[in-house]
Parts: sequence; structure tokens; C-alpha cells
Amino acid sequence: MTEELLPVLLIVVPILGATLPLVLGLFRERVGWAVAAGTLSVEAAVATWLGYAVYIGDQRVVHVLGGETFGRKEVTVGEFDTEGFIVGIELVADALSGLLVVLVALVALAVLAYARRAGPRRNAFYSAYLLLTGGLMGLVLTGDLFNLFVFLEIVGLMTYALVASDRSGASAVAALKYLIIGTTGASMYLVGVGYLFVRTGTLNMVDVSRVLAGEPAWVENALYSEPLVVASFGFIAVGLATKAAIFPLHTWQPDAYSESPDSVTVLISALVSTTAAYALARITWVVFSPDFFAANPRTVELLLAIAAVSVVAGSLLAAMQRRVKRVFAYSSVAQFGLIVMAVGTAVHPAAGDQATQFAVYGVVVHLIGHAVIKGGLFAAIGALNSSAGARYVREYAGLAKQRPFLSGSLAVLGFSLIGVPPAVGFVGKWYIGLAAVEAELWPLVFVVFASTLLTLLYVARLLEKLYFTPLAAETDTEPRPAVAADGGGSVSYGMVALAVLAAVLAVGLGFAGAELTDAVQPLVEAIQESSPEVHP
Amino acid sequence: MTEAAVTDIRPLAAVLVSAVTVVLILASHRYPNVRESWSVLAALTKFGIIASMVPGVLDGTEYQASLGEFVFDIEFSLRADALGMVFALLASFLWIFTAFYAAGYMRGLSEHNQTRFFAAFAASLSTAVGVAFAENLLTIFVFYELLSVATYPLVAHDETEEARTAGRKYLAYTFFGGGLLVLAGTALVFAMAGTTEFGQTAADLADANTALARAAFGLLAAGFGVKAALMPAHSWLPDAMVAPTPVSGLLHAVAVVKSGVFGIARLVLEVYNPELVGELGVGIVLAIVAAVTLTVASIIALRADRLKRRLAYSTISQLSYIVLGLGLAGPAAVAGAGLENVIRGGLLHIPAHAFMKLTLFFCAGIIHVETHTDYISEMDGIGKRMPLTMAAFAVAAAGMAGIPLVAGFVSKWFILIGAVEASQSVFAVVLLISGVLNIAYFWPIVYGAFFESHDSADSKPLVEGPFGGHLADGEPVPDGGDETAHEEGHHGGPGPGGWDRVGWTGGEGSWLMLGPILAIATGAVVLGVVPFEAVFLDLIESVVQGVAA
Amino acid sequence: MSRLVSATAGVTGTPLVTDILTNQYTYLLFALLLVIGLYMVVASSNLVKKIIGLNLFQSAIFLFFVSTAYLGESGGESGQAPIIPKKAVAYDPYASPLPQVIVLTAIVVGVALTAVGLALVIRIYGEYGTLDEETLREVRADD
Repeated sequence: MTEELLPVLLIVVPILGATLPLVLGLFRERVGWAVAAGTLSVEAAVATWLGYAVYIGDQRVVHVLGGETFGRKEVTVGEFDTEGFIVGIELVADALSGLLVVLVALVALAVLAYARRAGPRRNAFYSAYLLLTGGLMGLVLTGDLFNLFVFLEIVGLMTYALVASDRSGASAVAALKYLIIGTTGASMYLVGVGYLFVRTGTLNMVDVSRVLAGEPAWVENALYSEPLVVASFGFIAVGLATKAAIFPLHTWQPDAYSESPDSVTVLISALVSTTAAYALARITWVVFSPDFFAANPRTVELLLAIAAVSVVAGSLLAAMQRRVKRVFAYSSVAQFGLIVMAVGTAVHPAAGDQATQFAVYGVVVHLIGHAVIKGGLFAAIGALNSSAGARYVREYAGLAKQRPFLSGSLAVLGFSLIGVPPAVGFVGKWYIGLAAVEAELWPLVFVVFASTLLTLLYVARLLEKLYFTPLAAETDTEPRPAVAADGGGSVSYGMVALAVLAAVLAVGLGFAGAELTDAVQPLVEAIQESSPEVHP
Repeated sequence: MTEAAVTDIRPLAAVLVSAVTVVLILASHRYPNVRESWSVLAALTKFGIIASMVPGVLDGTEYQASLGEFVFDIEFSLRADALGMVFALLASFLWIFTAFYAAGYMRGLSEHNQTRFFAAFAASLSTAVGVAFAENLLTIFVFYELLSVATYPLVAHDETEEARTAGRKYLAYTFFGGGLLVLAGTALVFAMAGTTEFGQTAADLADANTALARAAFGLLAAGFGVKAALMPAHSWLPDAMVAPTPVSGLLHAVAVVKSGVFGIARLVLEVYNPELVGELGVGIVLAIVAAVTLTVASIIALRADRLKRRLAYSTISQLSYIVLGLGLAGPAAVAGAGLENVIRGGLLHIPAHAFMKLTLFFCAGIIHVETHTDYISEMDGIGKRMPLTMAAFAVAAAGMAGIPLVAGFVSKWFILIGAVEASQSVFAVVLLISGVLNIAYFWPIVYGAFFESHDSADSKPLVEGPFGGHLADGEPVPDGGDETAHEEGHHGGPGPGGWDRVGWTGGEGSWLMLGPILAIATGAVVLGVVPFEAVFLDLIESVVQGVAA
Repeated sequence: MSRLVSATAGVTGTPLVTDILTNQYTYLLFALLLVIGLYMVVASSNLVKKIIGLNLFQSAIFLFFVSTAYLGESGGESGQAPIIPKKAVAYDPYASPLPQVIVLTAIVVGVALTAVGLALVIRIYGEYGTLDEETLREVRADD
């Protein structure tokens, strides 16, 4: 049963790897990239192995840290004995987290190809990069609510450091803003976890879920309607929504995306908010379960309302931006609004089995699809910035002729973001919309389908500049700076390749939508049956 | 519909041919001759592939090609059946001529960015055939959206502010129609019926909640209606005329707009069925919208001075004939009479209008290339300069008005008698009025071209006398406020000595353009004189038989 | 483990307000500190004070966790240190070790955050010469 070690390896490898650039840096300069590439190659191999075990081998790979000493034990609570409560921290790779593990590992490796030319090249940068990957892995794999907080903060810390890694004043301000808001959000999450802990006496997701459902003998009924539990959901949702940059808690995100070095933007836009949204989905679906929302329909309605507002507000704000990076930063606000909307739809009391199924599909496909699309978009934007010095929408005039591949990728990715089929952006939106239709939540149906037009607002504006505005038409354009701020200055094949690869993937994944959804079928069944564990 | 379905790669190949061509065109951007021969080659191959399926389809075989499950329970699959064949055959056949014509046109004007133009053109054709062969609502939506994306570069081709605005409007309208309405309708149909495959949904929809079934029909009809330029969602089409003329011709008179009409045909005949459409009472609504559109568009066309704009409004009006035929299928099915005729007439108008309108646009294009004349008010006596062109124009215009022996007559005749049979005579009256209006807006062009000269033209009160008069010292603005280009960049019209006289031997322009014009005009006549010899009516017959059965 | 909760729950018969003030005042403090910290983060325009507010905010949460582990005199039971002999047959109620561990971890995380935050503040001060948010905004608007 060697598979059980894989989740640990996934977290430990990058964290150990992170120490190497610092140590080796004493002897040689610029050893960071090589170390990171080696480490992340191992990481990707391990992640693929784990993915294979989970999806092909139909396993639910669980590792309890310190498994010999701890593990599921009989615990005496008062005069009752409770079977199988966990002592120790569980790492779980199941149908949901498996996908994210693979995504994180592959994206982290791919962005490295981009960072070789574009990124800050100091060794410390690669240490932080590896630590961030390790943190993301932990965030995805952990089955423990408090451990999730720790990884959330590790991810946060490393992101703050990476955002500021080009040592400019502007990025420091952005990072500090992110730090303050992000930490507040994480602390909110911790308060929620504290409330749950007080009521259930455990931190393990599965056990918390069981106690909430009233399974052990020492709780008389399900605890769903207790104010403490409802409040804890509120705190957790607010905390994770902050991390996922849902309107109106998104204010850190545009600054952080637009001020950080290009390679960092690619990485965090593809992964950081994605994992936060994943955590929200997991806790909403598996820990609180649909029964909680059946008892408290208002909570899910509120969640859906906020998500819907996020979609509309994010898109409109994106359309108003002049800096390209900010356009797509706000676009993330809208897209995560869509995802949270589907998270809520899946557990809405009005949702039948079909609606739940489609909503779960929607979340999974759109999470992964959005990561690919947004990462690719920022890669293309970054490469255009460092090669042609274009940072503002108006500076994109006529660039298509000079940079056909980057512009082409940008166009393909932009259209998949809008949801033009058969790209993956469409598949996700289709499921989210279909779920809303099945659940007969008509206002949501409207928002989902209108989001196509809203996305068109800002994508078309950019493409029009890129392709259909001759350079001469923009007389007010100042001469472009020849060299990018972080000293990249030119475009490597790796940078272009990443953008093109993302564009190809965005279309290819659209056709693989059926495979993705088959993979998460166990998750769908678990939610439909309100089961806390996702068994294949 | 108990036709045998055969798995076959050809529907897929027909779509992919021009998609592959896109790559080849982009790759050979340095060699214009090679590039254009790819277009022609692809057009011929595509037509060959599609034509090779015709005999089988006429025998009742359906060729299927599936790419597997796309989203839950919906396959991404193509199927060549009789109805799809009508559209695919038409588009690919006309592309052959357009490929030549476009080469002549683009070179004649030394246009910029020709590679992008030809690549996008090939991509558009690819998706148009995809629309034709789509087996279910979701697949048709996929191609429908891709068609919007592929034609957008063509609309915005000029890279002027006007072109950009038109492109913006184009995207907004078509994404509103495609992205929002069609997708929402598809989702509703899927939620009610559990499938979106054509021909499989009607029974479930009949059992479903009536309000929801109506809503789904409304969403889908409105969504396809945007591309079919039904009023009030028509205004993107006249604006899109800023595109180069081959685009206006093949895409904005045939492929793109007809994909909308074709979608409505699939909707009325196969997603729902005529009886259901009649029972839900939505057919008559569709027919009324179409009737209003065809009348109003004809009236607006009267006052348009720019030739392409007048043709655009004519397109809007003619497309509504098709929609009218399809809309009347509902009441006709309920009345139990006239069903076959309205469908036959409506569908036959798809190829009929295509041949005629393409001729007209090609004429407008060659006039533009050779003489830089865009305005009807400057075309008096142009028959001397371009006799063959204007003769073809006259033939096609006659067909538009429904004069016998040209294609338009046959289709209108079927709709007309169908409408009377179904006791919807009011629509027959609308058709006749519109025929008169057609003559009213086409005849002056033909008459002026051949029987007047520039310095002794009759006054044109409709064009020159706007409602409410005009400013005392201002130049007359013939066509609303957007004709400023008329004053600034204009260099058309006859030279100081009037039009040169050119003989009837083709000295008026490049044969790359003249040849296609004459060929297609001939096609329009063939379709009008011996409709049963041309394959389209056979295909349509088998559709009609299928629906009636 | 439900005793963790019941240990701090009110003694029957005591009025609620009195009970909160005498037995559960730590929770009151938690709420108070939390709100003060949050207010500082939002309202103070000095970047360092914002970070102090953040620390206060987090400390409040630590206090909450520790409070839940506290076994007071109220139930007539007193909490022991969580050291249990291996072969124990019966043992007295003990304070749960878990919240303590959590708080320890969270403190470490908090310290790291403060360090990063202060490092950023130093960089900002070096770049713009101010710690005041308003001034900073003006300075950056001029750039």
C-alpha cells in the first residue's frame, strides 16, 4: 500500500526542496530554477501517480499523519463510546482533491518554464515558489479543518512574499493590502472552525460532518439548526470567500495580480483562488452537507445572492479597467462568482439529484478550466508586456501583427473565457446554467447566461484593439518602454509555449469534459447521499 | 423518420476540410497564389464530399459521425440528413464561386490583411456546414457560436472606426442571440426532455409544462431569429455591410443568416413538430413577426441609397419569407391543410434566395471594384459601363420580386398557396404587398442603369426627399445620419463624360468576378425554370415527406 | 468531549448576565478584542497600527480557543493537566490538549505574518517615506 505515502510526499517534497535553493545559494548563484524544476518534476510524477491511484485504481487514498500511534480510535465521550473518531491529521486524496492535486502539480511545473526568462531569478524566489506549491498541496489534501487553516496561511504568506518579490514599492503596497485582508479572512475562517470545534469536539472533516448530522450517541439530534453551527458556516464562508476574492471581499485581488511579477501573476491567478474556492466547496458539500442547508435555506440563498452579485459586479468592473492585467483580475472575481454560485446550487434545497449532479460538474470543470484559461491569459499578457511593453488596453493596438502566436493564444483563451464552445469555459458554464435550470432558480439562470455577454464586454474590447485597430489610430500612445519592469526584457520560447499550451488545453479540455465529470461521479453520489466520505 | 443511420466519416470530413484549410492558408501567407488555390481546392473538396452523400440521403440514408460524449448525456455528433443537406450543399456549392470571386475582389482592391480574410472565410464555411450537419441542439449551438467568432474578423476587416463599431454590434447581437438565448433555450429543452437530439424531443416537450415549453421555443426562436435578422433584432445586418462584398454576399446573405433560419427550421420541424408548434400557439406569433419584418424591411429598403444597404434590407425581408413559411407550419398543421406547401415553399426559398442574393451582391461588389460606385443615385446609365453585370442584376432582381421563371417565384408560390390552404389568407396578402415593394425598390436600379444617363435622370423622390424635408443649405442626406462617408471618402460615380460604353464581351471587369456572377445567375434561372431538376427540391421533398409522415 | 462545552456552560439557576460576567467573561473579552482589532484594521490609517490591529484580532481568536479548553470550578470539577498514566482505569476530567496545540500553531503562523507584514511596511517606508495610508495614496497618485 505504497499509495498511502503519496499525499505526504506531495507536501513534504516541495517544502524540503524549498530549503535547497537557500543552502546551495551559498555556493552558487542562480541555482534556484534548476532545483525548483527538479523538485517540481518529482512532484508532478508523484501527483500523476496519485491521480492514477485515485481515478484508475478507484481508491480513496488516506494517510493519517503518525498513523502508527494515532488513526481512527475509539473515543470515550462522557458515558458514550464513539467508534472510529480520528486522532491525528488526515490527508485525503479522493475524487475531488485528486483532480486539484494534479492541477496544482502540473501548473506549478508549467509556470516554471515561464519563470525561467520572465521571473525574478533570485534563489529566495524559488524557495517561496516551492513553499507555495507545498502549501497548495496541503490545502488541497488535508482532511482536517484546522490544518486547512495552517495551509491557508502558508499559502497566504508565500503569496504575499511572491507578490512583493520584484522589490518595488507598488508591489509592496499591494502585498500589504493583500496581507491585511487575507489574514483577516483566514482569521474569520479560524473563528468558524473554533465554533465548530466547540460544538463537535473534533476537527476532522468527516467526524465533524458526522457529529453535525447527529450520528454519535452523545448528540441527540442533528445540530444543523443550532445558532453556533450556522454562525460557524457564516464565518467559514466569509473567510474563504475573501481568499477566493468574491465581491465585495475582492479588493486585494486586482492590486495583487497587477503589481506582482508576471510569472507570479500566472501562478497565483491559476491556483491560489482556485484552491480557496475548492476548500469552500469541500466544506460546504461534505462537512455541512445538503441537510444543513435544507434546515437553513437562508444561508444558501445568501451565498447565491452574493455570488450572483459578484458575477455582475466583477464583469462590469473588468470592463471599466484600462490596465490589461486589472481587466482579467476583475474577471476572476466574476468567474469565481460563477463557481460559488454552483457550489451553492448543489446544496440548495430546491436542487434535485440532477441539479446537484450538474452543479458539482460545473464547479469541477469550471475550477479547472478557469485555472487553465486565466493562467494562460496572464502568461500571454505578461509575455506581451515584456516583449512589446504593452500594459494598457490602448497599447495593444496592432500588436497582433507583431506577436501572432501570443495574440492568437490570447484570442482563443479570451473566447473560451466568454464561453464559446467547444472550449472548456463553455462546458463549465453549461453545467452551472443547467444546474440552475434543473433547480428552477430562474434569477441564477439569467445571471449565468447573461455572464456570457458580460464577459464579452471586456474580452471583445481587448481583441478589437489587438486585431482591428491599426497602430497609427492610437496617436496618444507614448513610446513604449523597451524593457519590462522586472528586467525580463525579452520573450523566451517557454513563455510563448506556455500561452499556446494553455490555449490548446482550453479547447482540448472542452472535449475531455465528459472524462472530467466521470471522474467526480463518486463525489456527486456522496453529496446526494449526504455522506461525509467520498468513496469510489 | 425511419431512415437508416450509417456511421460515416464524411459529415465530419466536410466540416474539417475548411478547418484544415485555415491552417494551410495561414501557413502560406507569403504566397498569395498558393493561398488562394487552397481556398478553391478546399471549396471543391468540400463540395465533392457533400455531393457524394446526396444520392444516399435521397434514398433515406443518414450519415452519422460522432466525436463521443461532449457534456453529460449529450454527444458531439454530426448527421447528414435531408434538411442539413439542403443547407450544406448550398453553402459549399456557392463557396466554389465565391472563392474565385473573393480572390478577384480582394486583389482588385489591393486589400490589406488578405490572409486573415481568407482564413476567417474558410473557418466560417467550416462552421456553417457544422451548423447544417449538427445532430442535436447543443452541437448546433457550438457551431452557431463558432460561426459568430469566425465571421467577426470579416466584419471588422476594414479596421476603421465604422468597421469596429459594426463588429462590436455584430458580436453583441450574435452573442446575445447565440450565447444567451439559444443556450438558455437548449438548457430548458434538455431539462424537460433529457436529450437535445433533433427528432427525439417533441414527445417530451408536448408533455411538459406548457409555459416552459413556450418559453423554450421563444428563447430558441429569438436566439436563431437574431442571426436570421428578424425584427427587432435586425440592425446588425445592414451595419455588417461594411465588410468586403464577398463576405456580405456569401456570409451575410447565405451562410450566417441562413444558419439562423436553418436553426428555426430545425426548431419548428424537429425539436418541436408542426402540430406542437400549432398547439402551443407559437407558430402564428413567429409568422406575425416574420410578416411584419418582411413588410417593414421592404419599406426601409425603398429609402436606402447605398446599394449594399438596400440589398441588406432586402435580405432581411426575404429571410422572413422563409421564417413565415416555417411559422405558418404550426397553424397549417392544426388546420390539417397546407402544411406541405408552406414548408416546401419556406425551405425552397433558402436556396432560391441564396442564388439570387449572391448574384446581386456580387454585382454590387464588381461595381465597387471597377468604378468605386456605392450609391444607387450615381448608378444611372451604368448599364453602358457594365452591361453583363447589370443584366445579371436585373435577372436576380426579377426573381426577388417573384416574377416567374426565376427561382424566387417557385418558393413564393408554394408559400402563397400554403397560406391560403391553411386559411391564413392575410399572410398571402402580405406576401403580395411585399412582392410589389420588391419591384418598387429593385426596378429603379435596373431602369436607371439601362434607360437613363447620369445627366438626365428622373428625380428619385423617395431617396432625395427625406421625411420632414432637409436643412436649407445642407446637402441631401439620402439614407439617415450615417452617410457621412458619402461626402468624405467618396470617389465613385461616372467620370466627367458620363459612363464609358463597354461591349457585352466582358471588358467590364475581371473574369475572376464576372464568371461567378454569370454562373450563379444562371443557377437562379435553372432553379426557377426546372426546379425539379435541381437537387434542392428533391431534398426538400424528402424533408417534407418526413415531416408529413 | 462535550464536557468541554458543558464545563463552561452556566450553572442552573444563575441569571444569564451574571453567568456570563462571572463564568464566561473570557468569551466576552474575545468578542470585544475581536471587534477592537477589526476596527483598528479598518479605521486606522497608519500601516503599523493596522498590523497591530491584525495581531489583536488574532489574539482574540487564540483567547477563544484557550477558553474552550479551560475547565473551571463552575461544574464542581477542576481540570487536570492532560497527562494520563498509561494503565489508568479511571481518571479525572482533564483539559483538552487540542485547543492548546491549535493556539500554539496559530501563534507561530501569526508571528510569521507579522514579520512579513512589517517587512513590507519597511519597504513601503523606504520607497515612499510615509506610513500613513492617506499620504501614501497621494504620493502614489503623483507617480
